Amino acid sequence: MSFLSLDAINKSFAGVPVMRDATLAVREGEFMAVLGPSGCGKSTLLQIAAGLLPPSAGTVRIAGRAITAPPPEAVYVFQQYTRSLLPWRSVRDNVAFATEHRLGKRRARAIAEETLAQVGLSGFGDHFPWQLSGGMQQRVAIARALAAEPAILLLDEPFSAVDALTRLDLHALFLDIWSRRKLTVMLVTHDVEEAIYLADRIALLTYRPSSISEIFEVGLPRPRDPITTRALPQFLELRQTLLQKLLARPDA
Amino acid sequence: MRSALRWLPGIALLVLLVAGLEWAVNAGMIRRALMPPPSAIGDALWDLLASGDFVEPLFATLRLVFAGFAIGSALGIAAGVAMGWWPAAYRLLEPLVELLRPIPKAALVPALMLFLGIGEAMKITSVALAVFFPVLINTLQGVRGVDRVILDGARTHGWGTAHVLRHLVLPAALPFILAGMRVALGLALVLAVLSEMLSGQGGLGFLILDMQRSFQVRLMYAWLVILAVVGLALNTLFLIAERRALHWQPANRP
Repeated sequence: MSFLSLDAINKSFAGVPVMRDATLAVREGEFMAVLGPSGCGKSTLLQIAAGLLPPSAGTVRIAGRAITAPPPEAVYVFQQYTRSLLPWRSVRDNVAFATEHRLGKRRARAIAEETLAQVGLSGFGDHFPWQLSGGMQQRVAIARALAAEPAILLLDEPFSAVDALTRLDLHALFLDIWSRRKLTVMLVTHDVEEAIYLADRIALLTYRPSSISEIFEVGLPRPRDPITTRALPQFLELRQTLLQKLLARPDA
Repeated sequence: MRSALRWLPGIALLVLLVAGLEWAVNAGMIRRALMPPPSAIGDALWDLLASGDFVEPLFATLRLVFAGFAIGSALGIAAGVAMGWWPAAYRLLEPLVELLRPIPKAALVPALMLFLGIGEAMKITSVALAVFFPVLINTLQGVRGVDRVILDGARTHGWGTAHVLRHLVLPAALPFILAGMRVALGLALVLAVLSEMLSGQGGLGFLILDMQRSFQVRLMYAWLVILAVVGLALNTLFLIAERRALHWQPANRP
């Protein structure tokens, strides 16, 4: 039973088709990675799934319901944390952003404090975003998304703008939160190892006009470990297969 | 201490100019009837301050500036947000704004006098008109510049339009809005003084003109000094308020 389904999504910008019949079904509680090279329309697909961008044709369904606007179940996490956080708000109020319009400022701030603790940022509520490192700012962005208690998280390369060690750190944090909260996740990324390490399944997106060409089962045991999991033969084999597919593009 | 020293050359130049003027007038290089020596202006200014006679005209002018500035700013921000947010509002209002904006607002004072007379209403309207356009243009630019990513963030969290405008668009555009208001504050003082001169009653503007016409040149210059101080004080107060409102900007942090 798919929880989030994209059914024959088409998208054109100014008459130029960028997406053709992209179809993908994400199960409840599943971690789905969408892998593709830069410029293949990954973000476009994710924005359509989030209801932020209307498809030219096709349907997005969440729990069987067709959506046309951003649904309350799903929250989108942006790649550019520096642009998605509000520079005039403290870290606490940036996280309260998620719920203040529904619950009021007081309640939203209380939730923000709890969520900041979960991402390891207790005590940073009064800081401003620019006073934090990139990795910490991305944690704030993740906390903001979690504070809304979404059933679905849509992640637009949220780990790509930080350094390699911080990325491993964020991976661990995120896997922990994902398993504890039983979230359904759709992650778009161009990083093959990141996709294998995090996901249950990996959907491969082709070049423009893009569509989902193949879906791979990862099948690695959980909990995953940043060092040993990456050394498993299954990991290396899948990595090789996926890289070959990505590099075999005609106009790469 | 250090910052006081930094301004020393500028203050020294000012003192030198005043002293030079004093000397030039006393040496007969400038006619006293046109330019009394600064010391005589100082005496007149002192009398004015000591007698308390400066209070009423000063407050009359300040009232115009504040009332007109508040009304013009509020309308300018509202129109700027509407035009920046709703394309239909932009298409409706842009031709009108572009037609009216280039008119020097001073040129509208005679027409306003026809409709509103020479009282408070006309003067406040003149000031508000001068303030309205720069605030509108800057607000419009600020609203249009709000980052798409921030707006999408609000959408994915289910924010409604009113909440977005109040808590996202306005604060994001605030640096632009305040820059427009700072320009408008200077214009407000210009139009307040000018409409007082043209209406022939009340406030600093009228007095400066009246003193000149009745050959009380010393008093004319004394009022001019008061006007200069008012302009400086208004600008300084605004800068302090602006810095406080934008305290989150890294440049404004200690």
